[in-house]
Amino acid sequence: MREKEELVMVTPGEVLGKASELKAGRGAYVATHNNTVYASLTGRRSLNPPPSDSPDKVPPPSDSPDKRPTVEVTGHKAHGAVPVPGSIVIARVAKVMARMASADIMCVGSKSVREKFSGIIRHQDIRATEIDKVDMHSSFRPGDIVRASILSLGDARAYYLSTAKNELGVVSAESTAGATMVPISWTEMQCPLTGQIEQRKVAKV
Amino acid sequence: MEAKPSNSPKSFIDQSVAPGDVVLDLSSMANQTIKLGGGLRQDCDSISVMKSGKLRFVKPNKYWVESSQKRYVPCVGDNVLGIVVDSKADNFLVDIKGPALAFLPVLAFEGGTRRNIPKFEMGTLLYVRVVKANTGMNPELSCTDATGKAAEYGPLKDSYMFESSTGLARLLLSSPTCPVLEALGKKLSFEIAIGLNGRVWVHADSPSSVILVSNAIMNSESLSEVQQKIMVDKLLQRVQ
Repeated sequence: MREKEELVMVTPGEVLGKASELKAGRGAYVATHNNTVYASLTGRRSLNPPPSDSPDKVPPPSDSPDKRPTVEVTGHKAHGAVPVPGSIVIARVAKVMARMASADIMCVGSKSVREKFSGIIRHQDIRATEIDKVDMHSSFRPGDIVRASILSLGDARAYYLSTAKNELGVVSAESTAGATMVPISWTEMQCPLTGQIEQRKVAKV
Repeated sequence: MEAKPSNSPKSFIDQSVAPGDVVLDLSSMANQTIKLGGGLRQDCDSISVMKSGKLRFVKPNKYWVESSQKRYVPCVGDNVLGIVVDSKADNFLVDIKGPALAFLPVLAFEGGTRRNIPKFEMGTLLYVRVVKANTGMNPELSCTDATGKAAEYGPLKDSYMFESSTGLARLLLSSPTCPVLEALGKKLSFEIAIGLNGRVWVHADSPSSVILVSNAIMNSESLSEVQQKIMVDKLLQRVQ
């Protein structure tokens, strides 16, 4: 709940206050060498004091010794969705290799992304059972659309994705004949034109 | 050699076909299960050709197109000759004349453990077996047969390797023995390794034998049986 909304524009690197007085929220960070809170985005600064002085608002839990207000910077440009660990994303498989598949993240939740995010699905994260007997070629093929969840921010190159749940996996795939396939079980999809069955790790809709 | 079951008035079996030719009409063949091999494609009721070559048929129901190219498409179970291009922590990168480099796991040798990893230099010629060949992924190789024994797989040392088309490699490997190899084998002693990717390795005691065998094989793809024998005889006469 906001109490004060200031129309102060800040730029990255601008000092917002001391770490002893403020807590860094989204768009701000604490530099440990001199304990100052700096902004990391261009946008509006907003302070959210903990509502300890307003009895009709619900106080934040487990924050009792910390009475510092939180400072946040909201970007002035509306930016697209950014993948966050735990969110469900839709990605298109770009490459399938022996021990992992790389995918381009297209949507986070229900919003499409504005810039390119890469994800990697490792062979142990494809399904929950029998992970040492996973065959990459019978789980994904290049061009498949998969629903996955973000495990972590991963390394510098890509997010780590996982499809190890029933409702995660291939949502839409094209057969070698070029038609969109119909899922028939959690491991197989069938082409409507030729009747060929291909193996995928199918998401349970 | 015309085919026994003529399914249409103009049968394409054992004829040269080009991409786009419709070779079978399924509406005229009722209640048959047909197996289509490489180079053929089903478009609802008609079977059309995708690759140029000769249409082949084997009873009871297998059709495929046989063609000869310089490019090799990796297929599971093929024995090929590969050249080591690079070595990484877990596998060697081997060039087998396909669309992508193939991986040869460092442990895929008989009695292979982390302690006795073979050291192959760049350019080593290997006789290997294709284990996995999926489209879009790098093929996987192995230097053992299916049971885990070494069985002739491994590096080929010394001597001479030349490249030919895939059709010639299949011809040399056909049984009964190809006439060229039979004629050469009667007069010369040599060792030969044929890869289905078009690479052939020839080893003999003297360089002139190696050159003779290689030239004879390279010339023999388009010749008929009798012509091959005549060619080999002429070459042998020049040497002896």
